[in-house]
Formats: sequence, C-alpha cells, structure tokens
Amino acid sequence: MRTPASLQGRLLALVLGLVVCAWLGTAVLTWIDARHELDELLDGHLAQAAALLVAQQAREIEHDGEDGDATLDAPELHRYAPRVAFQVFHEGRLALRSANAMATPMVPVDGRFREGLRTVRVGDADWRVFATHGAEHDIQVYVGELVEARDDILRAVLRSTLWPMAPALPLLALALWWAVRRGVAPLRRLDEQLAARRPDALQPVVLDHAPSEMVPMLDALNALFGRIGTLMASERRFTADAAHELRTPIAAIRAQAQVALAEPDAALRRHALRATIEGCDRATRLVEQLLMLSRLEAGTATAAGVVDLGALARRVVGELAPAALARGQQLGLDAVDGARIAADETLLAVLLRNLVDNALRYSPDGARIEVRVGVDGDRVRLQVDDSGPGLPEADRRRLGERFFRVLGSGRSGSGLGWSIVQRIAAVQGARVAVSASGLGGLAVDVDWARTSLSATSPPSA
Amino acid sequence: MRILLAEDDPLLGDGLRAGLRQLGFQVDWVRNGEAAQRELRAQPYAAAVLDLGLPLRDGMDVLTDVRRAGVTLPVLILTARDAVSDRIGGLDAGADDYVVKPVDLNELAARLRALVRRAHGQPQERLRVRDLELDPAARSVACGGVPLTLPTREFDLLQALMLNAGRVLSREQLEQHLYSWGQEVESNAIEVHIHHLRRKLGAERIVTVRGVGYLMPRETGPG
Repeated sequence: MRTPASLQGRLLALVLGLVVCAWLGTAVLTWIDARHELDELLDGHLAQAAALLVAQQAREIEHDGEDGDATLDAPELHRYAPRVAFQVFHEGRLALRSANAMATPMVPVDGRFREGLRTVRVGDADWRVFATHGAEHDIQVYVGELVEARDDILRAVLRSTLWPMAPALPLLALALWWAVRRGVAPLRRLDEQLAARRPDALQPVVLDHAPSEMVPMLDALNALFGRIGTLMASERRFTADAAHELRTPIAAIRAQAQVALAEPDAALRRHALRATIEGCDRATRLVEQLLMLSRLEAGTATAAGVVDLGALARRVVGELAPAALARGQQLGLDAVDGARIAADETLLAVLLRNLVDNALRYSPDGARIEVRVGVDGDRVRLQVDDSGPGLPEADRRRLGERFFRVLGSGRSGSGLGWSIVQRIAAVQGARVAVSASGLGGLAVDVDWARTSLSATSPPSA
Repeated sequence: MRILLAEDDPLLGDGLRAGLRQLGFQVDWVRNGEAAQRELRAQPYAAAVLDLGLPLRDGMDVLTDVRRAGVTLPVLILTARDAVSDRIGGLDAGADDYVVKPVDLNELAARLRALVRRAHGQPQERLRVRDLELDPAARSVACGGVPLTLPTREFDLLQALMLNAGRVLSREQLEQHLYSWGQEVESNAIEVHIHHLRRKLGAERIVTVRGVGYLMPRETGPG
C-alpha cells in the first residue's frame, strides 16, 4: 500500500487502521473468553442434566422394580430440543432416550465405560457429550449437545460485538478527518502565508496560536529568513558599493578625456591622455577584483592541490619586481624549501600578489619590502614586511572592509585587495595577522597548516 | 573665478583641475576634508566643488561646519553617492547644488557659473553694468556693443569688479580672486591690470577709493 502523501491522509489512515486493529483484537479476545465461559456453563448444564437423569432412573427402578424393560422415547418439547439429546442405559439396555437420540450409546463403548466430557462425531455432526453412571454402574447416562449450537451462540455474541463497527467506522473516519483537519490547520495557515509572500519578503513568519510542535520549525524558518535577509542586504550593499566605486574612476576618465580633447598644449594633452589610460587600467583592475570577490563569495573558485609556497612566492615577486625597481623600491624574498600547503595555486597566487602589491603600492619610492616564506613546525608562514608609513591600530582593524581605503595615502586603490586576501585566507583555512613591522611599516603574517610530501595527492609541478 | 576643489582621487582631481582651468577658473585643489575646511574658512573663493567621501573629514561634516561658521559661498557637491537620501542630506546640509559622478566638465563649469551668479543676485548668465557686457561662459566682453579682447587676468579682474558692482574690493581681495596657490603675485600686479582696463574701457568705469580699494559704480552718478 502506498503511504498517503499528505500529513492529513497519513494521520487519518494511521488512526483508522489502529482503531480497526484494536477492534479486531477485542473481538478475538471476546471470542476466546466467551467460548471458554460458554463451554463451562453449558458443560455444567450437561453434567447437571446427566445427574438428574441418573437420579431419576434410579428412583424409577426403585419404584417399578426390575420390570421397566421398554425403552421410553421422551417427547420433543421445544424447537431447540433437536440440538440436545440424551440416552439412559440400564444394565446395558436403553431405558430412556430423547427423540433425536439413536439406540446405541453416543460414545462408542469399546471395552471400558469412560465417564466425563468429550466431543464425538455422530453421523455428520459434532456433539459434546457428557457421560456418567449411577452409583452401582448399572445406569449409564449420556447427555449430548450439538457443537454447532454452541458455535451459533458464539457467532451471535461476536456479531453483536463487531456489528456496531459497520456504521461506526465511516462515522469515525468522518470525525477523525474533521479532527485531523483542525489539528493541522496551523500548518495550512503557514502554507497560505508562505504562498502569499512576495519572493523578496523576508520578514519573520508570525503564526497566531502556533502549536508548540511548530514553534521550533517556525523559529528555524525565521532564522533562515533572517540569514537570507542579511545575505541579500550585504549583496545589495556590495552592488551599491561597487557602482559607487566605479563612478570615481569613470568620472576621472571622462574628465581627463575631455581635458585632452580641449587642450591645445601638446604636453598637457599627453598628460591628460596618459591619465585617461591610467583611469581605464584602474577601472579594469577594480572590475577584476570585484569579479574575483564575487567568485570567492560564491565559493566556485577552489581546486585543491599541493603548492610549494616558496616557489610560488619566487614567481610572484619576480613578476612584481620590475614595478618596484621603477620606483626605486627594494623588493626581497627569503624562502625556504618544503613550504608545501594544500591550496588552490591560482588563488594562492592572487593572495600573494595582493599582499606584495599592497606593500609596494602604499610604500613610498625607495622603500624596502621583504617577503619571507618559512616553516614553523607544522605551519607554513608567509610574512610581508614593508618600511612604508604603516597603519594606526584603528585602521589596521578596518582592513578588509570592502572598499575601505587608507586615507591620505595618496595612492589609488580599490579598497578590495584586503577583502580578497582575507576571503582567500578563509577559504584555505589560513590565519592572517597584521602588525607593525620591524622595518617601520606594516607586517602581514599569513600561516597555513603544512602538508607533508607524502600527503594525499601528488605535488603539482 | 577662483574655486576650491576638494577631491581625494588623484586622477579625478587632476582631471577636474585641468578641465576647469581650461574653462577659465582658477582652481585650488585639496585632497582631504581637513584641508578643505581650513581653506573654505580662510579664503574668499567664488565657489567650491566638494567630494563627500574625503579622507580625514567627511565632506558632509565639512559643509555643515563651514555653514555653521557663517561661510556663505556657493558649494557644489560632486560625489559618487547617488541615493536620493544622500542628495537630500547634502542639499539640506547647505549645498547649493548636488552632482553625481561622472559629470561633463562643461556642465560642471556652467553650474559653477550659475551658482556664483545667483550668489551675487544676478539672474542672468551675462553680467551687465551700464553698457558694459561680460559673458563668463564665452569669456567675451563688449563695451557699448563693441567686442573687446582681454587677457585672462584682466578678464577675471573685470568679472570680479562687475560681480561686485557698487561694492569696494580691496587689493588683497582682488588678488585672491585672481591667483590660485603657487602663482607668483607681483606687488603692483593689480594696479597694472586696473590701469590696462581703464585704458581699454574708459577711466571713469573703475573708481579708486584711496586706502581701501577699487569699485565699479553701477550708474554714472545721479543723471
């Protein structure tokens, strides 16, 4: 049988099924009990009747002497009489019998006479027979009753027990249906409320008189709505912030282009055109960073492998060295071998590039920037130090807020680099700490769990 | 016309300064809120272009503060914040105009001219004193219908005098109108420019108030 899909149907089927089972169980118990009681009662009657017959026969013999040879057929007095039969034998002869009794003893006498109750088959019917004898064993009495008759009574009893079920079951089903429907009404109300909601409606669901079983569910639902709301708000804020941040470089590009268009002086025009291109580069970088952040937040940009941080740092620092040289900055790398971590190489490169690029960008010309990759027990450490202006404590805490830019740095930045660094670190389970550097500027520490060479996947080349 | 530009973005600030200079403005550029506030309270600018997201001090705070201090010059907010609530907040804080980035340089210049004009009670774009006519947008001057060509400084000086027609302007005030930072001002520069203007327009148009400064009378006496 298929389980009903609706809670209401399921409850209804369950309760009705249990009621029918209980009813049938009661019927079976009633049957067994009634049969037992009935057997005791009717067996008692048989015994009583037999005793009466024995006593009567004994008295007749006393009265009439020994001449009562004729067999007496007792008259049939009641319509139920055929169901009961008796025989009285005196000294082996049939002295008295009921109209429906045969001439031979109901219980075949094979050898010894056995007193007591037994069920025998006479003709094509089963009989319950009580056999007894007089005090001197000359009188034998058999009283029998059709087993069929007893079964009839039992069936009647059972019928009267089970009968009420026929009309009661549909009524009960109806009443149950109503009760269950009432019981699950809060669920239906919740369903209606949710169905009537606009897709962006995230206010908590308020259900009057919600049953206590539903309260945890409602709480969980409302907590979920709350989380979705927070997420959506942060998404909206991000979009607004992004649009806001893109406006400034676009405004700069526009202004510079307009200046170039109207500038008669060749040198000034070239300056404006170069500034226009710089503005385009900045807008491009900002868009790339925004895309990177949104990919990171969607969690789609991870593929784990084993990466040698030292080798990667050599590559990234090599890429950034020309820009540093152009500004007279000293960029140095000190990396040990075997600094292997489980991470996505592309993301790790982005993190490294952002950190080193930040240090270069916010340090003055001629500054010193030191990158160190080391192994400390089971941790791999990356440290980027600069001799730049550093950051006050309050600003250090705000690093990583989207679009937060250190004020007065005189450098153009999107304020997204740190968000990206922290996001990547979070994805890779790394810890990031910012402190004052021994070189005078900012020190950024990132550490990962170290991966041994023999671990899971083969090292990426 | 000398204006203050408060913008922290190096690229945009550079572009705005160059563009507004092309359009005839003297531009002083500050890159943070504290400097903007200091300059607004100290210098007689014709107008100010104020970014809101400024380092050290937010543009809104700067504006509220200088307005409370009684600075009445026209302020144009130029910002990336485009929400209606931001616009309302900016105008209510005392801004005279609110422009969202990016902006066309010519439009920005026109808005600045309009703000300056209105601040001086001039409903029209062209300044007119008797038969003298000055068009700030076209940077052209006509005297009695005859077009005149004036060098930049003389034009700016004439514009300052016409904007303040009927009021005496000191030599220092005129210098501050004409020169932005870093520009060398010779001690007798104003006298030289006044002298040239008088020669081109007629001596009676600019009156010297000895020991005080110069003024351009609105009418030629009672008659």
